[in-house]
Amino acid sequence: MEKIDKFIPTENITLFRSCLVSAEYPGVEASTKYVFDKLGVEYVIDRNQSCCTGLGHYYDIFDELSTTALAARNFSYAIKNNHRQYVPMCATCYAILKTSAKILNEKDDVREEINKAFIENGLEDFQYTKGDIDPRDNITHVVDVLYYLKDKIPEHKKVDISGLKIATHHGCHYCKVHYDDTLCGYRNPEIIDKICEVMDAPALKWYDQKPRHCGGGFRQRYSNRELSLDATVDKFLSLHKEKIDVLLVMCPNCQLQFDRYEQVLEEKTGDKHYFAVLNIAQLVALYMGADPYKVLGIQTHTVNLEPILDKLNIDYDPEEDTLHVRN
Amino acid sequence: MGENNGDDLAHRVLSDIKAPSDLGLLRCVQCGLCTSVCPASRHSDYDARNIIKRVLDNDESIIEDEIIWNCFYCYTCYSVCPVGNSVCIVNQIIRQMAIEEDVGKRKIESFMSFADSYIEEGLGVIPKEYHGQLHIDYGKHWTNLQEQLQDVRKDLGLDDMYLLPEAKETVDKTLEAIGFKKRVKEVKKVRDRMDEVE
Repeated sequence: MEKIDKFIPTENITLFRSCLVSAEYPGVEASTKYVFDKLGVEYVIDRNQSCCTGLGHYYDIFDELSTTALAARNFSYAIKNNHRQYVPMCATCYAILKTSAKILNEKDDVREEINKAFIENGLEDFQYTKGDIDPRDNITHVVDVLYYLKDKIPEHKKVDISGLKIATHHGCHYCKVHYDDTLCGYRNPEIIDKICEVMDAPALKWYDQKPRHCGGGFRQRYSNRELSLDATVDKFLSLHKEKIDVLLVMCPNCQLQFDRYEQVLEEKTGDKHYFAVLNIAQLVALYMGADPYKVLGIQTHTVNLEPILDKLNIDYDPEEDTLHVRN
Repeated sequence: MGENNGDDLAHRVLSDIKAPSDLGLLRCVQCGLCTSVCPASRHSDYDARNIIKRVLDNDESIIEDEIIWNCFYCYTCYSVCPVGNSVCIVNQIIRQMAIEEDVGKRKIESFMSFADSYIEEGLGVIPKEYHGQLHIDYGKHWTNLQEQLQDVRKDLGLDDMYLLPEAKETVDKTLEAIGFKKRVKEVKKVRDRMDEVE
């Protein structure tokens, strides 16, 4: 394993909940919990935690001061609970929390302004003291933890997934925002690839556009739909050329872009090729024998996962999916 | 451009809360690597390198220019910049300057349901203003998911996705204390004026 120069926690973790995971791909949370439990990772989920603001922040409706104050509030709970290791499932939560911790540590005037607002409004408990949270060592992504424990993953193998043709798509906000903290490269990111390797399911070493974004682009997806989809097409066509079975992601925003829009993108490009979109935690859970509907939550995916289950000879009852419309 | 007088556009950007202390804005050599990897530059008239040029030229008109709203916030420019500059971050700062005026508020008013949800629940949502198009793009499955989400989560053995009542209260208080609610009101005022004109 390459040298890791940031701290990777396996205990005292607050699994930081993501608004998009919660509402769009809740199976990512269930899979992360499943895999963490198998690997003996100690964590809590805290319903005091508010959303990181990330989507709203990057729609420009949240100003930096508000986002940072909300982060300070969240940090105070993690510290009070003795679970100060924040581990988000979403790349944007990861980047937002790191940025907030940096601002709180480095910009004295901002920290003081936020603390003053807390004190004047009966919220003293949320005050932040410089250095409370180390942005590098106290905020790590789920994939960092999986990578750190990757050699233990094969001990829990239940399903042979070596027949899958996999491409990886690394979240921009994991790789590029705080790139000094990124493990396994940020210009040619490979952290998910390394986790695939231990499961005997090596991902494509390279494909055209690999280090590029998903095209979601926050406001672009909604208010500039064509521009957003044009950008997604670049990678989409490259993935078609490679004839992959699965696109592996580590961020719900990317998952949404490739999964929810697959039909739209096929119509836009006239190019058809089936591939499923999975979060890395979902694939590891599947490899460990997790139930496709009760843990992976594949019924919430727009693109059916059942063809992948067939390919892997995994038994399932399609009646468990009450969301897809059957012809 | 002013001689390091601190109040030209570049220095205002550098002193913004969003600017990291090591942001390499003044070190930009206009190499164009940012533009070469930028999705907005590839697919629209946006030109990442030109954004920085205009900021360094103290071209204030950029604040009102529609083009700043094309950045994807993917930070790919930042990840390749040889001098540690980030067009993405500079762009975020310029947009906030635009939001201080009506011109920027008009660009974000259609996302205000995210703010409403956050104030109410401490939780973000996909902006309701765009659900019409999304139901078309994502199909009936997504509509079903919206309706059955809580049952699906229960089947997955997940805890309630909403915050505890007392937590919602302190989120609300935090948003009031830090001025976010006031900001939302101001954006909505501009939205209401736009509605009147229509």
